[in-house]
Amino acid sequence: MRLRALGRVLRPSARGPELRRLALWSLVEALPAVLSGLLVARAIDDGFLAGDTLTGVAWLGLLALSVVIGGWATRQTYLSLADVVEPLRDELVVRTVHGSLRRSTATGAVADTAGVARLTQQVEIAREAYASVLLVVQGFLVTAVGALVGLVILLPVALVFVVPPLVVGLALFALALPGMAARQRSSILADERIAETAGIVAAGMRDVAACGAEEHAADMVGAHIDAQARATRELARFTALRTVAVGIGGLVPMLLILAAGQWLHARGASPGAILGALTYVVQGVHPALQKLVRGLGNTGLWLFVALGRIVEATEAPGAGITEGPERSAGAEPDGHEVVLREVSFGYPGAFERVIVDLDLVIGEGDHVAVVGPSGAGKSTLAGLISGLLEPERGAVLLGGVPAAGLDRRIAGRHRALIPQEAYVFAGTLRENLAYLAPDAPDAAIEDAVERLGARTLLERLGGLDAVLEPQALSAGERQLLTLVRSYLSEARLVILDEAACHLDPAAEARVERAFAARAGTLVVIAHRISSALRARRVLVLDGREALVGAHEELLARSALYRDLVGYWGGAPPTRDAEAGAETPAADRAERLPARPRAATPSRKRSHGRQRRRPRRRARFE
Amino acid sequence: MPVERLTATTEEIVNEVSVNPNREADRLLVHVGRQGGVWVGVLALAALATAAAALALPAVIGSAANAVLGGHSAGVWVLRCGLLIAVLVVCDALDDFAAGAAIARSTAGLRRGVLAHLAALGARPLPGLDAGEVTARLVGNAADAARVAPDVVRSLAGLVPALGAIAALAVIDPWLCATFLVGLPVLVVALRVFARDAHEIAARYLAVQGTIAGRLVGALAGARTIAAAGTADREADRVLRPLPELHRHGVAMWRAQMRITAQDAVLVSLLEVAVLAVAGALLAQGRISPGELIAASQYVLLASGIGGAATGMTRLVRSRAAAARVSEVLDQAPPAYGAAPAPAGRGRLEFRGVTASAGGRTVLAGLDLLLPAGALVAVVGRSGAGKSLLAALAGRLVDPDEGEVLLDGMPLAELSRRELRREIGYGFERPILIGETLAEAIAWGADIPSREAIVVAARAARADDFIRRMPAGYDTPLAQAPMSGGEAQRVGLARTFAHARRVLVLDDVTASLDTVTEHHISATLTGALADRTRIVIAHRASTAERTDAVIWLEDGHIRAFAKHQRLWRNPDYRALFEAREEPEGAP
Repeated sequence: MRLRALGRVLRPSARGPELRRLALWSLVEALPAVLSGLLVARAIDDGFLAGDTLTGVAWLGLLALSVVIGGWATRQTYLSLADVVEPLRDELVVRTVHGSLRRSTATGAVADTAGVARLTQQVEIAREAYASVLLVVQGFLVTAVGALVGLVILLPVALVFVVPPLVVGLALFALALPGMAARQRSSILADERIAETAGIVAAGMRDVAACGAEEHAADMVGAHIDAQARATRELARFTALRTVAVGIGGLVPMLLILAAGQWLHARGASPGAILGALTYVVQGVHPALQKLVRGLGNTGLWLFVALGRIVEATEAPGAGITEGPERSAGAEPDGHEVVLREVSFGYPGAFERVIVDLDLVIGEGDHVAVVGPSGAGKSTLAGLISGLLEPERGAVLLGGVPAAGLDRRIAGRHRALIPQEAYVFAGTLRENLAYLAPDAPDAAIEDAVERLGARTLLERLGGLDAVLEPQALSAGERQLLTLVRSYLSEARLVILDEAACHLDPAAEARVERAFAARAGTLVVIAHRISSALRARRVLVLDGREALVGAHEELLARSALYRDLVGYWGGAPPTRDAEAGAETPAADRAERLPARPRAATPSRKRSHGRQRRRPRRRARFE
Repeated sequence: MPVERLTATTEEIVNEVSVNPNREADRLLVHVGRQGGVWVGVLALAALATAAAALALPAVIGSAANAVLGGHSAGVWVLRCGLLIAVLVVCDALDDFAAGAAIARSTAGLRRGVLAHLAALGARPLPGLDAGEVTARLVGNAADAARVAPDVVRSLAGLVPALGAIAALAVIDPWLCATFLVGLPVLVVALRVFARDAHEIAARYLAVQGTIAGRLVGALAGARTIAAAGTADREADRVLRPLPELHRHGVAMWRAQMRITAQDAVLVSLLEVAVLAVAGALLAQGRISPGELIAASQYVLLASGIGGAATGMTRLVRSRAAAARVSEVLDQAPPAYGAAPAPAGRGRLEFRGVTASAGGRTVLAGLDLLLPAGALVAVVGRSGAGKSLLAALAGRLVDPDEGEVLLDGMPLAELSRRELRREIGYGFERPILIGETLAEAIAWGADIPSREAIVVAARAARADDFIRRMPAGYDTPLAQAPMSGGEAQRVGLARTFAHARRVLVLDDVTASLDTVTEHHISATLTGALADRTRIVIAHRASTAERTDAVIWLEDGHIRAFAKHQRLWRNPDYRALFEAREEPEGAP
């Protein structure tokens, strides 16, 4: 089955024309291999041994000519090879890119960036190995078969001395091959383990030293180092066997021809014919076999290991990972009300469920904050609502349609999820901001930039046409850009999953207010408790329990919520405080705890935002 | 040898980037070569025997051919020929095995050495080397460097048949040797020119390949955004945009390769034809025998193997470059530890005239500080004020340039490594967990705590709960334990709690914890761990507020060492916490 998968990747049939061209040029390339013994025999018999140097040189001149023609054909075969190998590499790159993107964005998937870096390397190994294998096999066929053909013409009886040992040699090599492949594979695997564990240790040297765990860390990598050394030694044993195969297949024929020389001579074989036959073996069969065995034994194994990896990684769908159930594909949500009915969810392999029997309705136009300790399932809830995760039990409906079953592009028009890890790519600022609304006019972009407070950033970066360097941006800047991007999307349901956690409280408040003022529903996975104070309703998650209600209601009903809010201050902040005070709730919540008197003077810079705020107040009445 | 060359080009490019062969590298190579042990000797003998047999074979074949053509009995010569072949095959096989065994030994030895050195260096920064590069030195570079002994032996042994064949040509007839020697320079020059060309093309190819890989890694980091937006196909197209360019460079690489290979094959063959023609003329004149002609044609092939010596040199250069890179790690002197056990005491920490630098800049100057045993202090200051350096000095993760740090009256440098780590523990904002399982990730350290102690520590760090929910609880392999940042941080804290006996240094550990978890951890710090000296780097006022005293660092000095409540009256102090929250891009 694995072989069939490999076959699908290599698909020799799809490269028929290129391979045929390769075969054709190989015939020409074989010219000197076929002719060498024949021409040498003629040069010796008709020329040099007959005392006619000129004739001899003339025959050799023909050989030189065939060498030049063969060389020219070699160039052409190389170009044909390029036409076979480069498209394969293209295809592997395309597979890798599509495959890893598909896997990483599939329902319930986790992105494996490190694995992909390795995969890219594998593509290159596969390319070089594939080329090597083609070259080696083609070279063997051209030289060895060419020599045998020449031998048939020159001295057919000599085949008896050449072919049997050659077959034995090849068979011996074929027998050793599986064992070699296994050793090669374990050597490569051990190497990867070393890289893996060494990578962890190297990245964590500070931690290793701080714990005094040097010996343990060294042992962890050391075990794999020893395994690799063992595999290398075992591989060497098989390599030695390979050398024996070459000796039998390439050198024994020569010995046999010499031993039978007298008999051949007596049967009328000319001196030139015998010398020519020797030439075929010594300069044709033996080196060709040597190259074949060396080439296949090294690079050929790499090809299979690397291709196997690529196929595994890009083809086999991981357990439980799907592109999304078929049932609502193509369906269009009616509105953007969110309904969760007895939803339970646990990650594959995890022991306990993260979310258990959750019932929740988020009506159109609602503003909900989700709070809870880390690991309580807040991000999981965001994933479920946006349809990136599929509930294990129960139903998550968006506009009446199962969220996880929606076509992603359709879903994207109805809801926007902004995760904590902001994705900004190397492109213009406009491309980045209009990512979810490619047709947005500049005026709309500018407006969103203004509302979310990204003007300064936009100007510093050099306007909409500036090309971004993602690495040069801070985490906060990246978040601000992705927030503007989502603001521009046509989606009516916006889910902020700690999307502003790298912004300061004032900037976060501004962003949340802008989104709240935007038409539609807002769900905020809260990083700071202040988000809850701004929301109309709050959902408190703590792993096993979920409670939803208005702020005051929860203060009365939920000990956890009181905890969450209470730890920020002696007197729990109230909505009145938020609505009436001069400072935004974010600051108040942070300052109230210790010394309320310090709060106001320390936050002057946020006052300017007061004018925009009252719009939301109507909601609470 | 087109196959070998194709694989060599890209690797050579990578290695030639920082070819800086120096004496250190050579010393390392000698050391590494020796680690191959007895197998290097076996390899040398086998390689020499193989070379000698290969050199003798054409002459014996020629004599046998002469005997056959002359109608004499060729039995003796055929027997000799068979013996030679047997020697050739056995020695060649032995050569292969010995080389593999030697490389296995040298590689493992070098890797173990680098690993031990890395462990000894600990938290000391390696200038200019990130974790990935250190790993590359341990994996790829170490393997390349470890090939040195077989490479040297084989290059030298490879010269024997090549030089011997040239001599053999001269022995058969000086004209043959002369013909070969005239043709050879043409061969060498032609190959040189094209090799350089190929390198440039390969570099361009690698650059485009890097672009695609970079774009893909970037897109995967944003996988959740892409998944939500349903733009996976669009992203794939964007990532693949440079693919046609890659294709073009790939084909160009083949063209360059084609020139080299075709040239190579044609030149060697023509050289052989030329020698044959001269040999033929000599044969016609009766100056050499037919057997000598056939021997000569084989000697030409052996002699043109002299080009292989260049390949050997390339490999040696590569080994040397790799060794130079490995030396960058080995050159860093590890700190020396004392042998003293910790003195009696409960964790009084003292800085005496401590001056320390980071990245070549003096960050702390003449610091004097006394932390009484059991104190809970916060360290605050603007970024770059030296908070982390102070923390690193407190447990000797780095050494001061001047002055000393004392634990209960004893300079840290006099403590043994084990004692030092047992008494002073660290907690980091982003801990990196090391170990095969969760239990090991908590337990690994100067002492291995009991399972009970591990659980107690995990409970104190609020990690016990979710660890129990993992498939195999504490024995869940780390690789199969998907953890959020907050969870990893709690496991890291459990590790700290399980070890530090007297002093805890916490580098902003609660930064990414939620309110409740942070509260509980603070409660642990002021409760169960109250008997220890605790140093907390604080970025939030609320953290500083809960401590006994605050160390306020500014411009390499302690601006104040006082209670938070008193400092809070100072606007400069308050500004410290405001500035922290000023994001780069926000209004």
